Amino acid sequence: MFSERDFEHYLAKKYMRTEIMPHAFCPGCGLGIIERMILMAFEELGEEEWKRTAFVSGIGCSGWVPLYFRRDAAHTLHGRALAFATALKLSKPDLNVIVVMGDGDSMGIGGNHLIHAARRNVDLTAIIATNMLYSLTGGQMSPTTPQGARTNTTPYGNIEPNFDLMKLLEAAGATYLARWTTYHFVQAKNSIKKAIKHKGFAAIEIVFQCPTYAGRYILGKPDPRDMMDWFKEVSVPLGKAKTMSPEELQGKIVVGEFLHRTDRPEYTEQVYKIIEKAQKKGGR
Amino acid sequence: MSLEPGVHLMQGDEAVVEGAIIAGCRFFAGYPITPATEIAERMSYRLPQVGGIFIQMEDELGSILAVIGASWGGRKSMTATSGPGFSLMQEGLGYAIITETPLVLVNVQRGGPSTGLVTLPSQGDVMQARWGSHGDYASIVLAPSSVQEVFDLTIKAFNLSETYRNPVIILADEVIAHVREPVKVPPLEEIEVVERKKPDVPPEQYIPYLPKKPGEWVTPMPAFGDGYNVLVESVMHDEFGHRIGTDHAAANRTIRRLWYKIEKNVDKISMYEEYMLDDAEVAVISYGSSARTSLRAVREARKLGIKAGMLKLITLWPFYDKKVQEVASQVKAIVVPEMNMGKMVREVERASKGMAEVMSLTKVGGLLHHPDEVLAAIKRVAR
Amino acid sequence: MYMKPGVGVKDIIVSDKLCKGCYLCIWACPWDVFEISKERNWRGVKKPVAVRLDQCRRCRLCEFYCPDFAIQVIIDEEEEKMLKEVEEKYEKPWLPRVEERDRIVKEGVWWLED
Repeated sequence: MFSERDFEHYLAKKYMRTEIMPHAFCPGCGLGIIERMILMAFEELGEEEWKRTAFVSGIGCSGWVPLYFRRDAAHTLHGRALAFATALKLSKPDLNVIVVMGDGDSMGIGGNHLIHAARRNVDLTAIIATNMLYSLTGGQMSPTTPQGARTNTTPYGNIEPNFDLMKLLEAAGATYLARWTTYHFVQAKNSIKKAIKHKGFAAIEIVFQCPTYAGRYILGKPDPRDMMDWFKEVSVPLGKAKTMSPEELQGKIVVGEFLHRTDRPEYTEQVYKIIEKAQKKGGR
Repeated sequence: MSLEPGVHLMQGDEAVVEGAIIAGCRFFAGYPITPATEIAERMSYRLPQVGGIFIQMEDELGSILAVIGASWGGRKSMTATSGPGFSLMQEGLGYAIITETPLVLVNVQRGGPSTGLVTLPSQGDVMQARWGSHGDYASIVLAPSSVQEVFDLTIKAFNLSETYRNPVIILADEVIAHVREPVKVPPLEEIEVVERKKPDVPPEQYIPYLPKKPGEWVTPMPAFGDGYNVLVESVMHDEFGHRIGTDHAAANRTIRRLWYKIEKNVDKISMYEEYMLDDAEVAVISYGSSARTSLRAVREARKLGIKAGMLKLITLWPFYDKKVQEVASQVKAIVVPEMNMGKMVREVERASKGMAEVMSLTKVGGLLHHPDEVLAAIKRVAR
Repeated sequence: MYMKPGVGVKDIIVSDKLCKGCYLCIWACPWDVFEISKERNWRGVKKPVAVRLDQCRRCRLCEFYCPDFAIQVIIDEEEEKMLKEVEEKYEKPWLPRVEERDRIVKEGVWWLED
């Protein structure tokens, strides 16, 4: 029998640094669910894949996600996770490098690194957790804050339009793209699995609930259960979204697998081909 | 293959590359910037030949993080930049310090502030190299004054960064970077190269930031994928690498070790050269390319019968108080020529504790001191 | 058999250490297995309790949506045995060092002298 006093879930026992749990996330925070998606993907991929995996994250609530995994992990600087990850992948091409980023890391301060990592098509798996604002600093406007929303830095309503991450990354050259919410548990897990196996830059945007700030201030839903219901309500599958007008899509979250192409060369392979070429011909 | 032993005519920027390759550098990330561009250019050509990786990043913020990433991937790595790029890299430099990541950063100084004097030399970054990133930390900064020294110090820089698990900054300047001089490359077996120590305990027993015994300031460093489940943590952490939140005692321990590992080893890290100091009454304390003109001025002064000598600082930071004190106690006056508004002179003043008169000889605008200027200063204080 | 009502499970554990009381499990459970306990536990959380174990259809949705890895559905003895094995193999080897953390740090830190 197990005692309930210090019990941890099976996945936690197997994959996580249980000594520093419970994690620092607020009650009901969706980042825990994203952790579980990642771990369940690895549970299905097998231990060999897990053993050759490394995590890189930026700063923010999302940056803490991989720190709880009993695996090599780097908690880098705000926005710079992809630069670190690119070099790590180049240095150790056998590693699965998984980058966990939030709003700011991916589209705010780290926007430049994101589009260039996608352009190079480096074999990375970027899990981009978006929650409509900056949470760690206490609920300020982010590149995904809905227009009109009141946050701590937009007290009169947000006037800035947001990024459509999928369109941005498709234009930049990413080769696997998907968007889900934490409500779409199984779909997101399957996408993560696919992305890890995919050769090239794969990005999965997961919209997750922040009951503490986004829920309370933007949506008026401080209970994570209401936010989950809201995700269910506003998410539209990609196929259906194609038949809808832009007006109808206003305020909706389009979910699905947006892109999967294999025709672009992968960066790490190209780099090693250059090395081979330079060594064969002595440079010329 | 690395450079053949013998004498080669090289630019300072090229000497960095060849020295780095001999030292075992196998990763370079950078962004083009005058006057450090030639380093990136030559690296892009040379590194693949020896199985190394060159990547041109999207900016300097990314370059330094890539270098840190590659270092944790098990490769000796470096970057090179100048002026504005060095300012951007301060962010990543702090990250390398708190995570104790070995790397080498070459800053080919140009005139500032801001975009400034793009193609002209300066020594304006000596304080930024020491204090540029926020928070408390110690840094190792080397200043070459000839192309030969650029070559030697690049190798030395890699060795120091591996020994102390700290970034090492090479402060060259536009003159040293672009001048062509003969460089003597000794046979490879005569060159000391320090390799990275890997942990010899099983992963369950490895404590990432707790050196085993006194005097051993750093722990062996595993690479990603070695099975040690390392946490490269930019947040203040304890000896186990865990984020500590507001544990003052743990933060105190970590910050002090990062500081002490450099500052308490100043005797081992410091390098300097003395010229005619034995009987000197006037000392010139100089570094980098200013030392070239200063030496000429000291020789001229000797011809005129003035007992002048020179102390050339090769390691700028940690600052070698002991040596400067020794010089100050034996001479009447010290002249400090620098290509800035007087920065290291403050350190010299502090270390000499009033035992000698200290005169600052500033020079800005992108010109080296003329030997006559230094000579005039020597004459003035010798009187 | 999997979704048949009234199959029940051996146990549903809700961890005192990890549960923060967000009640996403209650939201996720289609069979109304859980109820919020009246008492606060030692962490001050009113934990959900699986009061209607016989209603459980083993869908594990409560596990999936628990952000804190606090809930574990244990179907039978075999699963319990497997959990024990995982604990022994993956978790236990790392714990002794961490449990002795304070002692290791106290004995190991030497650079604060003088």
